[in-house]
Amino acid sequence: MSERRTLIRLEGVTKDYPKVGTGRERLRTLAALLLRRRDLPHFRALDRVGLELREGESLGIIGENGAGKSTLLKIIAGVVRPTAGTVDVKGRVGALLELGSGFHPEYTGRENIHLSSALMGLSRRELTRRLDSIIEFADIGEHIDAPIKHYSSGMVVRLGFAVATAIEPDVLITDEVLAVGDESFQKKCIAWLERYRGAGGTLLMCSHSMYHVQTLCTQAVWIHHGAVRMHGNSFDVTREYLTYHEERNGPKQPVQRAPEGPWPRLVKAWTEDAQGRPADTFRQGEAMVLQAEVYEPDDRAPVLLFGVVRVDGTSIYGSHSNEGDYRPTRLATRRFAFAVRFDALPLLPGKYHLRVHTLDTEGLRLFDTLELDFVVRGETRDYGVVSLPHRWQPGRGVERPVVTP
Amino acid sequence: MSSPAVETPPAARAPRWGWLLFSFARREVLARYAGSVSGLAWTLLHPLAQLAIFSVVFTQVFRVSTPPGYPGVSYLAFVAVALWPWIMFSESLHRAMGSIAGNAGLIRKVAFPHRLLVYAAVLACCAIHGAGFVAVLVVLKAIGEPIDLWRLPVAALLLVPYMLLAVGIGAALAGLHILLRDVEHALQVLLTIVFYASPILYPASLVPDTLRGYVEGNPLGWFSERLREVLFLGSGLVPGDAVAALGCLAVFGAGLWVFQRLSPHFEDFL
Repeated sequence: MSERRTLIRLEGVTKDYPKVGTGRERLRTLAALLLRRRDLPHFRALDRVGLELREGESLGIIGENGAGKSTLLKIIAGVVRPTAGTVDVKGRVGALLELGSGFHPEYTGRENIHLSSALMGLSRRELTRRLDSIIEFADIGEHIDAPIKHYSSGMVVRLGFAVATAIEPDVLITDEVLAVGDESFQKKCIAWLERYRGAGGTLLMCSHSMYHVQTLCTQAVWIHHGAVRMHGNSFDVTREYLTYHEERNGPKQPVQRAPEGPWPRLVKAWTEDAQGRPADTFRQGEAMVLQAEVYEPDDRAPVLLFGVVRVDGTSIYGSHSNEGDYRPTRLATRRFAFAVRFDALPLLPGKYHLRVHTLDTEGLRLFDTLELDFVVRGETRDYGVVSLPHRWQPGRGVERPVVTP
Repeated sequence: MSSPAVETPPAARAPRWGWLLFSFARREVLARYAGSVSGLAWTLLHPLAQLAIFSVVFTQVFRVSTPPGYPGVSYLAFVAVALWPWIMFSESLHRAMGSIAGNAGLIRKVAFPHRLLVYAAVLACCAIHGAGFVAVLVVLKAIGEPIDLWRLPVAALLLVPYMLLAVGIGAALAGLHILLRDVEHALQVLLTIVFYASPILYPASLVPDTLRGYVEGNPLGWFSERLREVLFLGSGLVPGDAVAALGCLAVFGAGLWVFQRLSPHFEDFL
């Protein structure tokens, strides 16, 4: 691991975009640029971003629109010079920042391959050698000799990707390009990327598809308002990012605690692991125990209700202690203790709320509510909220009758 | 993937920009006729029309006789020799100025030396109007004008600093144009003034002594006069040419300096 060279290193990279509105501002900006002064009104697009990518690694960049992802890619690709900080990129970089960048609509596909590959740094000799494989990869038939302006956006993508891959880059940078193009071409691109990664290629991609990031990238970085919010394993980062969105879309109002009074009230509630240590982070499939202590003014055993909710407000499961013959432990006068054990948490990785409510002895009226947060970690590409127990088995086909024992 | 890890030394990479510059220039030339029927003919027709207008107005209306100092040269040929380089120069400035804004899509998405766009714009103008110039000179010679075609290489040599001047000014304009679109309008006015202030339609010898300094000191005036001396009178290179070339080189350097200062910020403003 350590002998692999670092291909990309960014340190304290900051990018300010000047704000220019009025004519006077324009003149001032111009003077400042020529004299290399830095006292301009600006908008900070990236704020002290640090990154490192070694040969053979793959990094996904995620974040909301306008977070600075594209600016970051442009800085690495050398299109934009940072205002401060250092950028060190080694090897041949193939950047596909936008589909059809470097293409001219009036020219044919073939002519555009020439210019676009020259822009990517191919010499004329290298191009001659690869022209056929580029055309074959793009797979757009006789359209290759028609002007690009008559192409569908999918065809432009094909051509762009074909050129970018033909230069055999050490680092391939793509910006949300897999989103266009039809299913079969997407598959072709993904297959190419996987082969490229398998052969030791380094990939840097920006995507809104968490699935692509998880599949193609070992690491991910989450850019939030121009700064690195999280950097690490791609599963952890994408999960955290999704959770952030779930949380943002979730209900905003805080849970109302019941005021002090003559009704059942939660004294304390917490989650703990199988060994009884308080915890709020669990691995998928691990045991989780909810502990709660309740004050009951009439010294009668109250009922406890719990509900598991995803951070976006989706209810997942709820139940109450009134089932069966469960009796809470009476700790002292008017004090009762409850515990619920989830043996193997089937929840998919993410952030959840655990709501705990107290009810009267009859389980009819709800009095107090307390909300706990917990996180489930794990590496999975499963979708949804919980993992349903299942197993794969041989298929039967239409014709064969059901064998009844 | 075939062995992608071999690092290319910087020296081995330098030529690739030559190929890119060629591709840009080729695209510039092709773009002139893409989408139009008669294509490249227009680029020749425009200067021809200008030449026709000037010769009709000056020979038929103002009844200008053959300019003094150029025996046997018609007014038409006299103007043509200076008009083509002028068109080459002024169009280079226009194209160079617009080359950055016109390729905003590229500059925002692809990393490459931006100055190549300026060079390509000027190169394309040189190629198109250079070819037109040679064609016109050959035609003029064929109809009996005393043009020394063997002096063409000397004329071409004279045009090199002239075009370097265009690259320098064009590069500065291209950079400034990104921040100040006013440059576009200012250029139009300035070019008109310079055109009439240069001895293109008239010989420098007709200019009154009080103004002579301005007309001859202006590099365009100098080159126009020199081109006529070379092509009509068979003059070789003179020491003054070296001085003019140095001046052009200085402008070229200054213009490129301005451009390179602004170049990293183009993306900010496009």
